[in-house]
Amino acid sequence: MKLVRDVLDKKLIDREHCDMSRVSGLVMRVGERSQPHISHILIGGPTLWTRVHPALGRLSTRLAQLWGPKRKDLVRIPWSRVMTVGKDIKLDVKARDIGALDWEIWIAQHIIERIPGGGNKEEE
Amino acid sequence: MKKILQITLGIITSVGGFLEIGSVTTAAQAGASFGYQLLWAILLGTICLIFLVEMSGRLAAVSKHTIVDATRERFGFPFYAIVMLGMVLVAFMVLVAELGGIGLSLQILSGLGFPWWAIPVSFVVWLLMWKGTFGLIENGASLLGLVTISFVVAAVKMHPDWGSAGHGLLPTMPGDQKAKYGFIAVSILGASISPYLMYFYSSGAIEDKWDESYIPMNRIIAGFGMTFGGLLSMAVLVAAALAFQPRGIDIDKFEQAALLMTSALPKWGFYFFAFSMLFACLGAALEVSLAIAYFFAQGFGWNWSEDLEPSKDARFSFAYTIIIFLAAIPLLFGVDPIKVTLMSMALTAATLPLAIVPFLFLMNDPIYLGEHRNGWVSNSVVAIIILISFVLSVISIPLQIIGG
Repeated sequence: MKLVRDVLDKKLIDREHCDMSRVSGLVMRVGERSQPHISHILIGGPTLWTRVHPALGRLSTRLAQLWGPKRKDLVRIPWSRVMTVGKDIKLDVKARDIGALDWEIWIAQHIIERIPGGGNKEEE
Repeated sequence: MKKILQITLGIITSVGGFLEIGSVTTAAQAGASFGYQLLWAILLGTICLIFLVEMSGRLAAVSKHTIVDATRERFGFPFYAIVMLGMVLVAFMVLVAELGGIGLSLQILSGLGFPWWAIPVSFVVWLLMWKGTFGLIENGASLLGLVTISFVVAAVKMHPDWGSAGHGLLPTMPGDQKAKYGFIAVSILGASISPYLMYFYSSGAIEDKWDESYIPMNRIIAGFGMTFGGLLSMAVLVAAALAFQPRGIDIDKFEQAALLMTSALPKWGFYFFAFSMLFACLGAALEVSLAIAYFFAQGFGWNWSEDLEPSKDARFSFAYTIIIFLAAIPLLFGVDPIKVTLMSMALTAATLPLAIVPFLFLMNDPIYLGEHRNGWVSNSVVAIIILISFVLSVISIPLQIIGG
């Protein structure tokens, strides 16, 4: 597997076939005794925009503190939860529980559901 | 049987989706200023679009990924961000032009100026997306768009000289006004080869759950649909050549363009023109707004589908809501839709390499297409036409700006 070609930027799909996001970045662990290995998948704006330019990453972090769900830390998914890596990456997690849908839920609750005909996110 | 119905719908979609304010304005200007001489630009644009639309559908049917998905995955986010910036800016200008086109049609029907229509029109477009499904937008807009066939009736009724029209299909250099000729040629190419149509079409294939068995059908839709669309544009050019050139009128106002219908159909022509423009621009406005929202949603990996209730794909719905209302603002301040149209069509042509070159790489990638990869014919036809459009636009856009 080639990490940049096969993992980075691929779409993440959760246990319930919900589109979660795309892979923004990867965390590599280099231990003294173990081989270097990928420990986590990172998702979210700050990681993503830092790849274009560090200043954009800082801007994204700052904007996220002003507005939106105001999550403190980055969303990290342990590599052990990866089930398959193909055209998409399937994960053994629930998108909602790990915080991948924070923005989706925030926009649904604060904006979309307040417009007539927007529907209700919680109705399944 | 179901597939035959889908083919029919697909062709109607393409006929309805092809003609919009861009193709009508550019074709009418070409006819008014240069007679049949610029027909070749429509032909070239249509050939290129047939290949591109076929590829967009094939990519989606085989890989189950849209063009935007595949661009981000294959080239990474930093490159994707550049493509997104360029495509979204140009598509936004096109959206302003289409909303303006609806406003201008209502202006000639009602007498009330187009800035007054900016907010009501954006609201209706937004409401159709908010409440409607993909099928409704695709089929409703295209069925209404069939009224644009009246351009063909108008062109034929004016008895064009088919021989000299045929000569226009081969490129020739004009005697004078070379800069204007080049700029209109570029705008026509930009109006025909619209990347937003590809993003819309490949997302539509995913919305309609296409698989490999749709490849032959996709080919028929792309071939027939875009050919019909190209013929409609040519009809506008021919009608404009017959209506304006003898009188030496240059079109710079929307109302003048109605003449190309009223010369042939004195009684009903005006209404045919107004409603053709109204429905054609409405269909295009829906397609462009969806294409922009798809661009964000697919690029960032959000949930998206025009068939879901807005709260089930909140970020996607939020994206088109913001975009449609932002696009109303310039019109509210009276920015001339025709100027926006011409500039956005020329910019489309200039940014084509940004959209098409990465796309050609994807279409040759075995990971996405396996045995259904492009052959050398499709690759060369598209590459050559894109190169021509790019070179022409690099030469003629600065000339047009300097020349005013």
